[in-house]
Amino acid sequence: MTAFPTIASAATDIAAGHLSPVALTEACLERIDRHDATLHAFIRLERDRALAAARTAEAEIKEGRRRGVLHGIPFAHKDIYETAGIPTTCHSKLLQDYVPARDAFTVARLAEAGIVMLGKLATHEFAIGGPSFDLPWPPARNPWSPEHFTGGSSSGTGAGIAAGFMLGATGSCTGGSIRLPAAYCGLAGIKPTYGLVSRTGIQPLAFTLDHAGPLAWTVEDCAILLQAMAAHDPADPGSADVSIPDYRAALMGDLKGLRIGVVRHFYEKDVTVSVEVGSATEASIGVLSRLGATVKDVTLPPLQDWNACGWLILSAEAYSVHEPWLKARYNDYGRNFRQRVTLGAFLTAADYQAAIRFRRELNSKLAKVMADVDLLVLPTTLTAAPKIDKVPAFGSIETPNLTIPFNVSGSPTLAVCNGFSEGGLPLSLQIVGRPFEEATVLHAGHAYERATQWKERRPALVGA
Amino acid sequence: MPAPKPSITRAEFDVLAARTGLPLDEAQKSECYAVFGYLEEIAARVRVDGNRPREAEPALIFHAGRRKGGA
Repeated sequence: MTAFPTIASAATDIAAGHLSPVALTEACLERIDRHDATLHAFIRLERDRALAAARTAEAEIKEGRRRGVLHGIPFAHKDIYETAGIPTTCHSKLLQDYVPARDAFTVARLAEAGIVMLGKLATHEFAIGGPSFDLPWPPARNPWSPEHFTGGSSSGTGAGIAAGFMLGATGSCTGGSIRLPAAYCGLAGIKPTYGLVSRTGIQPLAFTLDHAGPLAWTVEDCAILLQAMAAHDPADPGSADVSIPDYRAALMGDLKGLRIGVVRHFYEKDVTVSVEVGSATEASIGVLSRLGATVKDVTLPPLQDWNACGWLILSAEAYSVHEPWLKARYNDYGRNFRQRVTLGAFLTAADYQAAIRFRRELNSKLAKVMADVDLLVLPTTLTAAPKIDKVPAFGSIETPNLTIPFNVSGSPTLAVCNGFSEGGLPLSLQIVGRPFEEATVLHAGHAYERATQWKERRPALVGA
Repeated sequence: MPAPKPSITRAEFDVLAARTGLPLDEAQKSECYAVFGYLEEIAARVRVDGNRPREAEPALIFHAGRRKGGA
């Protein structure tokens, strides 16, 4: 067994009988034991349950009842995904004793696919308040440098996969919470099209911006996980009844004929990225071009418009979700959450309607641009990960981030590692597609990953 | 980076805060007031002078489902 198998490689070895799911699970648990006291990726570790599941998987596979590529693969869930009989805290004092009776739709699908669930992962409080130091659990730390931020809100997901604690995990994304931890932790993460993956059983933050999706070490692993997670769910009013293609099969081939638009004004004019992010982006565009894609600059409405629209909708919807608890238990929330979400109480119905109508205009302009290109590319973040104690509470409002436009639009968007800073922290590229064209997004990301060597590098963990 | 200065006074803000029904103490009200300018900025940005095009509206959408075997 290699030190850090991917889902694809582990599945091949398990299928061939060269790798035991029990041994793989034990290796992950041993790594967690050594390093999670520093990284705090897990809120709750389900050691006995995981070992029992691994033994069951191993027995089923030996009996010729292998369920598929995820059978026996160590995995974990962001702690806003409900898990039957296992506390689902949302990293908050408010829910620290909450034990759901049922699994989230996606949790059940992944269990059916045979994953070995190791436990529940740290998040920002209710997927928005973080990184925080006044909650019942500490914030997750970045395995590339524990003094640095993991990105959020799927922070334990980012930290745990980068550290090799598990091979994949769930995330959720309202303004960037899959792509930001993927970027800062050197992973691949896909925010699918709004409606492709069910939100049933996942704690809402903002109903019209919330997306569920996977993070993993590689794009191929994200394709495997998305295959298991994507399905129509009649219980989710936003769930789309669309046919699901074979994402892994779509990874093959070069990029000849693919038309890519570069949203250069977002990161060169509307905001400014660091020199190393700019250089990594240009180099990535060069790689995609050499792989056969045609590349041209495109123009969208200013990033500030997308950011204002997204934050206003997020503030109004998040406040409406939390208003009853805020009125009854205001001081049980962490300060960071209170600061960000309380502002929504001061918005008017006219503010919210203006934002919803603005969203329609923005999305119409995006659709016109996407009629001439298959994909958009741009950096995922403005810089490499900041220090964890230097993350401002309103950083994304002060300086718009590059991820929220595609929550406003609901477009499928992938973050893929595209280099490292001088200080050895990961950098990341976003690849954006048309609605329900995840296969094209994943194809381009996979081709990029195979043409570069960034995935050969792993964080050098320091621990007991 | 300092937050933008709110367009309303602290006394005016306190009236709005009371209307929310949230149990904010003085320190928490001060914290909210200090960042209220952000909210005003984004609220101003999503508005336009005059009317938006009529098609920029939050339509009620029905999911009629697919026809089985139909054209």
